[in-house]
Amino acid sequence: MRQSPPSTDRLDRLYALALCLYPAPFRRGYELAMRQAFRDALRDRTLSRRTLVPLVLRDLVTSLAKEHLAMLRDTFARPTLVFNAVVLTALATGLALALYAIPQQVLRQGANDPQIAMATDLVAALERGDLAATLQQGGLPAIAGGLGAVDMAHSLSPFVIVYDDRGHTLASQALLDGKAPVPPAGIFDYVRTHGEDRFSWQPRRGVRVAAVMQRVGDAHPGFVLAGRNMREVEAREEQVGQLAGLTWIGMLGVILVGTAVFGWYTRPKAA
Amino acid sequence: MATGTAPAAPLTPAVFAILLSLAEGDKHGYHIMKDARAPQGGGIQMGPGTLYGSLERMMRDGLVEESGVCDDERRRYYRLTNLGQSVLAVELERLDAAVSSAHALGLLPHGGRS
Repeated sequence: MRQSPPSTDRLDRLYALALCLYPAPFRRGYELAMRQAFRDALRDRTLSRRTLVPLVLRDLVTSLAKEHLAMLRDTFARPTLVFNAVVLTALATGLALALYAIPQQVLRQGANDPQIAMATDLVAALERGDLAATLQQGGLPAIAGGLGAVDMAHSLSPFVIVYDDRGHTLASQALLDGKAPVPPAGIFDYVRTHGEDRFSWQPRRGVRVAAVMQRVGDAHPGFVLAGRNMREVEAREEQVGQLAGLTWIGMLGVILVGTAVFGWYTRPKAA
Repeated sequence: MATGTAPAAPLTPAVFAILLSLAEGDKHGYHIMKDARAPQGGGIQMGPGTLYGSLERMMRDGLVEESGVCDDERRRYYRLTNLGQSVLAVELERLDAAVSSAHALGLLPHGGRS
């Protein structure tokens, strides 16, 4: 039996070590055959070491990348696994959206509560005709509360504004840039038909108001608008949004890890 | 067990060289590598990793199979399947048409083929 030169044995051992870098199923299937092919190449006198060593190094780099990618594809790109992950992601996304939308709606609707009470009481008083004299002097009744003119841009206090039937301001507790703002004509038309509207009103950029407008009937028809700056409510909505976002990212992380672990333990074992 | 579908032309150089080598008969890994390295075998410098990775995918696609012949515990012999022969024939026809076209255009001035 022919004895191998020491350099051949060393290269053979190094190649055997390098084969440990291949994915286990591939290694189990082809380790012996690959070592034999490498030994055959070492013994081939037509192939110099200067040619063989770079060739094998290049081959190791490219085939290692290729086999690991193939293993990842076989492990994680199975249709069942991908389908389950997509369904779970869709569920998590729906849940996160609900986690945001439900509290957001509760907060937004709750922001109208004082305005509803104020508008209802003021409309009742106006319809009784108790306040005609006060309104004619440009004032507002005590029922509307408040500490004088409300700066809509900065104050969080609720306020009321009374408009005549054509939408002109009769009296206002609130001012924005020194004037009592008037909502779009469409709001008056809607309230004229439906009796009430609850809406988010942006009288100018950066100022959003939770507003309730009700119709005043009887002898002196008009409109009452009760509103309040939404700054605090929107800050809370933003917090809810951040919590829902974090929850969504957390759920996606759990799905990712769970899918990876499940995919790994159920991966095809054949080589 | 073959579970894949036959690869569409053009084949990768490694797959083509392996099919061409096995067209002569059953061969083991290093023999295929040596054939592939020769100019008439495709001139592909292929190492054991590329060879056995390609062979595994080709077995999955049903192009080659282990012949069961064994001259050594570590040498595994492979052969073409019928599907492998068909795929090789289609690829050779494709290449032949390309060479004919190049010939007609005068791109092979020394008569690359007769």
